[in-house]
Amino acid sequence: MKKDKKNSFNTPEGYFESFNERLMARIQQEATDETSSIIPKTDGFGVPEGYFDAVVPKILSRTTEEKGKVIQLKSYRKVYYGAAAVAAVFILIFGFNWKSEPLPVTFDDLANTEIDAYFDNNRIDMSSYELAEMVSFENVQLNDILEDDLSGEIILEYLDANVDDLRDLNIEYIDYE
Amino acid sequence: MIAEETLVQELKDKNSQAKAFEVLVNTYKERLYWHIRRIVLDHDDSDDVLQNTFIKVYKNIDGFKGESKLYSWLYRIATNESLTFLKQKSKKMGIGDQELKERLVENLEADVYFEGDEIQLKLQKALAELPDKQKLVFTMKYFQEMKYEDISEVLETSVGALKASYHLAVKKIEAYLKAD
Repeated sequence: MKKDKKNSFNTPEGYFESFNERLMARIQQEATDETSSIIPKTDGFGVPEGYFDAVVPKILSRTTEEKGKVIQLKSYRKVYYGAAAVAAVFILIFGFNWKSEPLPVTFDDLANTEIDAYFDNNRIDMSSYELAEMVSFENVQLNDILEDDLSGEIILEYLDANVDDLRDLNIEYIDYE
Repeated sequence: MIAEETLVQELKDKNSQAKAFEVLVNTYKERLYWHIRRIVLDHDDSDDVLQNTFIKVYKNIDGFKGESKLYSWLYRIATNESLTFLKQKSKKMGIGDQELKERLVENLEADVYFEGDEIQLKLQKALAELPDKQKLVFTMKYFQEMKYEDISEVLETSVGALKASYHLAVKKIEAYLKAD
């Protein structure tokens, strides 16, 4: 037994001599445990032969198509200029009113379909809490936002599972007795 | 390999744009494809989303301010395109997000471009059960071997939160794989 000169604690014989070896063995074991997870190393997806070579021209041709649309518009430039000139004359003669101011576009001017389309096509990265903060539900009844009416049975089941003390609901029992 | 800043400058310059865009596509096509494939699962869908991603990059390169790295901007577009694609697909099919995920995994069994065995199929079933963000973090770390710092830029989430998400995802997947 090896004795520390400054205190009375002891270590088993050869403890410090074998410490490095045991530590290294432990580190190796930990590394093995980490790599021997039951999660497979690959996920099994494959691609058709030559796909990555074939996809490049497909993408590049689509960018050319985008450019093509711009060139097509330019060829009609003269017609547009003519149409714009005629429209400008009509506006000057019939429609120009110094006192009139353009009406500001309001939220009501947006068609519901446009709003729906925006939410469908754009990922709104907001949590339900953030949405709840933005939208006021003061004048909204629960049934306005539910697609189906809640049955009494479901409400009772919910209350049964989530409410410990019915007194928390602040129901005036007198009315129901 | 061409430096990122130089590539961005060339992409914004109309004279060098076409050549630079080809370099960009060749550099990132495989990485972005695998990222997309792990979200949408089907090869043909991945092909569509990959093309849409690059077209979006092409159209919006002038708006790229260089506040984040180019590759994280690309990954972000690819992620958003993939998730939007799935959302539109579930709407078209008239089913919920979760039902779509389950169907996509079921389809893998007959997919000629899925060479996975039973355990890999089960892994996909486990991944379909995870919330989107946990699944993304897991696949980016485990299969794409991305650094937490890079994932953090793509998903705009702190490294600490990503580590917690990853750890949670691993535990859930292991539990799913161990279960009968």
